[in-house]
Formats: sequence, C-alpha cells, structure tokens
Amino acid sequence: MSDFLAQLSAVPSRQYTLGTVSDEIYDRQLRDLKACFGQPAFVPGSVNLTECLEAISPSIHSLSFLCLLRLEIQQTQKRTQCDIPEGLEPGGNLWKHAIRFLRSFDPIQIRYAGYEWRELVELVASAAQATSKPILAVKAIRDALDRLDTSGIFTSTHLILVKLTLHSASYTSALPILDRFLSHFPPDTHHTHHEFPLCSECTPATAFITDVPGISSKLTYRDHLRFFLYSAMIYMALKRWDQASHCLSIVVASPTANSVSKIMVDAYKKWILANLLGHGKVPAASKMIGPHVIRVLHSLARPYISLAEAFGKGDLRRMGAEIEIGQSVWKADKNTGLVSQLFDAHDKFAIIKLGKTFSALTVVDVLQRAPSCSRDHFVIEEFVASMVMSNALRASLSHSPGGQSVTMLRLSPTAQCHAFREEYIRTKLIKGRIALNTIAKHIAQTDEALELSPENLHFIAKSQKWSGNSEKNGTAGAAEIDEDLMGDGQ
Amino acid sequence: MDAPPLSQDRLSAVLAAAPSPADLYTSLSDYEEQACLIPTTHSKEVELLSAFYTAFFFSHLLTDQIEEARALTKRIPQTILQTDSIQNCLVLLRAVWQRKYTEIYKILRELPWPERSRSVVQSYESYFQQKTLKEVSNSYEAIRPAAAATYLGLDPTLAEQGDQGTIQKFVACGWKWDEKTRLLHPKPLITAPPKDESLQNEFGRIMALISHQGS
Repeated sequence: MSDFLAQLSAVPSRQYTLGTVSDEIYDRQLRDLKACFGQPAFVPGSVNLTECLEAISPSIHSLSFLCLLRLEIQQTQKRTQCDIPEGLEPGGNLWKHAIRFLRSFDPIQIRYAGYEWRELVELVASAAQATSKPILAVKAIRDALDRLDTSGIFTSTHLILVKLTLHSASYTSALPILDRFLSHFPPDTHHTHHEFPLCSECTPATAFITDVPGISSKLTYRDHLRFFLYSAMIYMALKRWDQASHCLSIVVASPTANSVSKIMVDAYKKWILANLLGHGKVPAASKMIGPHVIRVLHSLARPYISLAEAFGKGDLRRMGAEIEIGQSVWKADKNTGLVSQLFDAHDKFAIIKLGKTFSALTVVDVLQRAPSCSRDHFVIEEFVASMVMSNALRASLSHSPGGQSVTMLRLSPTAQCHAFREEYIRTKLIKGRIALNTIAKHIAQTDEALELSPENLHFIAKSQKWSGNSEKNGTAGAAEIDEDLMGDGQ
Repeated sequence: MDAPPLSQDRLSAVLAAAPSPADLYTSLSDYEEQACLIPTTHSKEVELLSAFYTAFFFSHLLTDQIEEARALTKRIPQTILQTDSIQNCLVLLRAVWQRKYTEIYKILRELPWPERSRSVVQSYESYFQQKTLKEVSNSYEAIRPAAAATYLGLDPTLAEQGDQGTIQKFVACGWKWDEKTRLLHPKPLITAPPKDESLQNEFGRIMALISHQGS
C-alpha cells in the first residue's frame, strides 16, 4: 500500500513544490504516470481505493487522484450494475471525492487527463439531475471550468453548465462563466508540432484544448446555438436584456446555408421580446443575417412581429388583443412570462418618450399626454416615482407647495440638480479612466503578439530599407548590412 | 476546504461574523448545497432549513439581487416553503418587487419573524431605509413630509402635521425644511460609483481577442 501511495505521489503539482523541474522532465513524468494507469497490474488488487483517495490530495496529486477516482467509480458501477451508483449520488462518498476534486484540481496536471476530467464532470451532472438536485452540480462545474480556464474556447462543459443552471433556477451561479467572452471552438485538427510541452505555463489554452483529446466532447453547430440560447434565457431571468439580446443575436445571425433551424426561430422570437422589454423597440436585424433567413424568420414569427408593431405604435388595445389571441403561441413557445411583462415595459417606454417632447409636466398630465399608458390616476404617480427612483427615467420630481397634491415631473436633463449632474459626469470620467488604463495595459501585450513593438517595427523598416538598397545595387552582402547598421547608429 | 456542518449555531455564527452583506451572501451561498442534502422529514431539520433559507433570502435582498431572490423561492423545498418564516419572505418579496413602501415596513416590523432571524430582518430594514433615503434624495427636488415619511417608514400623519421630531430626522440628513411652503427639500446623496470590473474585463477580452486573431 505504501509503495503504491509513493508511486501516486511521485509527481506533485508544481504549485506545491519548491524544486524546479524542467518542463520537459515534468511532461515526461506526467505522461509516464498517466500511462501507468493504463496498465492492469499498476493498481495492486489488495489496495483499498477508498483509503488511497483519502490519503492523497486532489490539489497536489490531481492526475493520480482523478485516475484513481475514475477507477473506483468504474469498479462500483460494475459491481452495482448501475450508471449512477449510490455512492455517486449527492452526499455519497464518491460524490464528495468528485466535488472535492472539481474544486481544487491542478489545471496543469489535468491537461494530461482531459477525457477523464470531462467524464467526471458529466457523471456529476448526471448524478445531480438523477436526484432532482441540479443545483448541487452547478457550482462545482462552474468552479471546475473556472480552474481549467478555457480562455474563450467553447467546450461541451459550457453547455452542461447552462443546462443545469436553467434546471436549477440558480441563474447568478453561472454568470462568472457566462460573462466571459467565448470566441473559439476547439479546433478539429491536432497540432503536430508543439512549441512548449503540455505542462508549460506558456502553452496557450487553444493548444492544450486542441491537443488534449476528450476535454470537450465533439461539438455540433446545434450545441453552439443551444449554448447561446440557454445563456440568453439565463440573462432574461435576471432581466439583463442587453446581454440576452446579444446572445440571441448570435444565434439568429449564425451562418446557415439554406435551412433555418428551430433554435434560430426560437431565438428570433425571444430576441423580439427581449428588445421590446429592454429597449422598447425592435432594432433592425443584423446585416450579417441573409435576406432569405430574415424572410423565413418573419414568416415563422408572425404573431411576435404583430405584437411588436402594436407595441411600437403605442396601440394598447391592439397589443392587448394580440396578446390574447396569441395565448396558445406564447404558451407553446414558453414565452408567456416574457409576454406578460410587456404591459409594464410599454408604460415605461411611453413615459420615457414624453421626454422627447416635454421638459416638464405634472404627473396627472402624464396620463393625458401618454394616453396609451395602461395605468389609472391612482397609481400613475407611484409608477412614475418608482421609475425615477430606480433610474429607469432620468428626471426629477417636485411636489407643489400648499395643500394641492400636484407633482411636477421634470424630464429635461438640465432640470436635474447640479449635484446629480456632477455625479453623472464623475461616473463617466471614472469609467473613461478605467477604460483608458485597461487599454494602455493591454496595448504593449497586443503589440508584442502582433509583432508591433517599436524594436520590431524598427527592424522591419531597416530590413525593407536593406532589401530596397540591395535591389537597387544588385548586391546583398552581409558586410554591407553591417556597414548600414553602423551608419544608422551614428 | 469544506464548510463546517450546517446547524442553528453555525448559522448564527455566520450571521454574526459576516463583515458585509456581500460576505454574508457568499457564506450562505456555500451552505446551500449542504441545505439541499438535509432531509425535511423531522421538525428540527425543517426549523433549521427555514432559518437558513430566511437568512439566505435576506442576504439576496441586502445585495440587491431581487431577481435571484425570486429564483431562490423556486428552489426552496416545498415543505420549507410552507413555514411561517418563508411565507413572510414571499409576502415581503412581492412588496419589494412592487415597491409598496408602507407594506414593506409593516411586514418587516409587524410580522412574526423567528427569534434567530430578527437580526437579519433588522439589518434589511435599516439597509432598505438608507437605500430609499438615497433614492428619494436624488429623485425629489421638493417633497411633502407625509410622502417622505411613507418612503422612510415613519408616521405620515405626524409628518403631515409638521411634528418637529419627524422633521428633525429629515433635517439631520441634510434636507431643508421650508416652513412657508411646508415642503422638504432633499439634499442629493452623492456616492462614489463602484469600480466597474466588468468594463475592465470587457476591454481585456477585446484586446486579447485582437492580439489572438492578429497573431
């Protein structure tokens, strides 16, 4: 047992060791350790795997721990003839080991066991769903993705995460991952030449995700669309309409040859509603969407387009009728909740629109000037005040003196109090400063990546000069270059 | 490291130790997984879970996560949803969602909250009052005392009568009281905008993307 433990602990995480092992040696050690687990005789029959799992640390000996845990799960599955054995259910021993691992593994070591890592993530997700407790897997998988750091590469684990988040209604849990920019798919082709070993800190995520087989299952076009559709649904549950609209527009604008998928149609319907709720209007469709796709989407989302037209025209009666007629459509599309929020949004934007015409008016006049507003006299003041207080409407309120119960609404920005304007300008300045600082910080790094550093540009300019001179003179001797260098230096 | 097992004492310790609402939310969020695994068959566990979900619910309100607070009410087990404390939370959520100021203060002050939840309920009352004070201060140029009192959970009748005790509370916040017009003139409360991490991350990502595509 102790010999076996010593073998398992032979390659600790570099985060926990003081000695410096070269990348090449560490790479070989990890590959050898991984290969050992492929040999049937490596794990002695007398060894108690549970005790071994207790004895080694998932953060220090991540590769050993993962392979051992996989072995233990496989043996239990075989023994119980069950895909999700009792021990793997939430609260069981195997579950506890799996969660402990997903929250503390060393991302470098896991590059050598991508398939095993993904298999564990999928098992945890299945176990949580099988027991109707998806929330138990959400945070562990989010933390695992965070540790792995895919650097903008979409993987199958991202899709698992958004599905579980929606099932568990724990929307904010997924935000740390969703708020990150996803810009790449794992490439299909494997690199044949590596600049750095897999364990090197310099190895970019694009390289290790490509080179580590199985860290993501094979992704289809449909998976990509579903991920962004589900992400949009999470944002909509949190009323983050801008982000929701962005995700939905990615789905709608996805390249397509001839056919339009159902996911795209669903996304288009939600995109209309998200824009009505967030901006009070439906913007023009992206120019990236082909005209044939727009035609198909329009014909398949007719009730939504009619509803948006009624909303845009401020025709409350027609909007009510459209909502009533389309009940079965909203229900079938699972958009009833979004549609039910349209009345509030309609009133909100009807009042905001008044700011284009009026600089000030009484709250009672608001009803006369915005007849489409569905509120009555008793609640309009409350509604307007809540809009001003929540900053949905940039305005100020003023009660009239004496016993009259008149409230004045000042919509002109100039009417805002001086201090408030100052705060607004200060916020804008601080945001501008942060933006400039961030750009400045990254500019050197970007220049380096683009080979635009002053030294490199200087060198390129010189090279061009040399090549121009040599063409002119018909000679390109090394001696002449040296002379030029010396000449420029003077 | 795993969090210590969830118990009434542990919950009280977490409530007492959290230095800020955000910390309280994070600490309780870590316990939600443990709470999910506790069976709801015995009254002792039901009591514990009810206290836990009440505190967790308030930690959402204290960090202005009202949409997520609503989502939490969908995650709470059915048995726990029926407890008085959670029923109070549901009534409060509706009132906060609809900005019914009178109701909010009434629910917080008059409904029977369990002894162990009182501290977090009081914290929220004080937080809500401060938040509303800031919102009123930045939204109204002039306000009737009764309306201001309603927003801040004070007695509107006394305020309308010009009760000096009530008026002084507003004056203490920097507001001006105009005896002639019988109106209060709030003083805008300026606070430094929070550091926008998302903006910084956004730029970082864009720059990373440019360099990646260009290289």
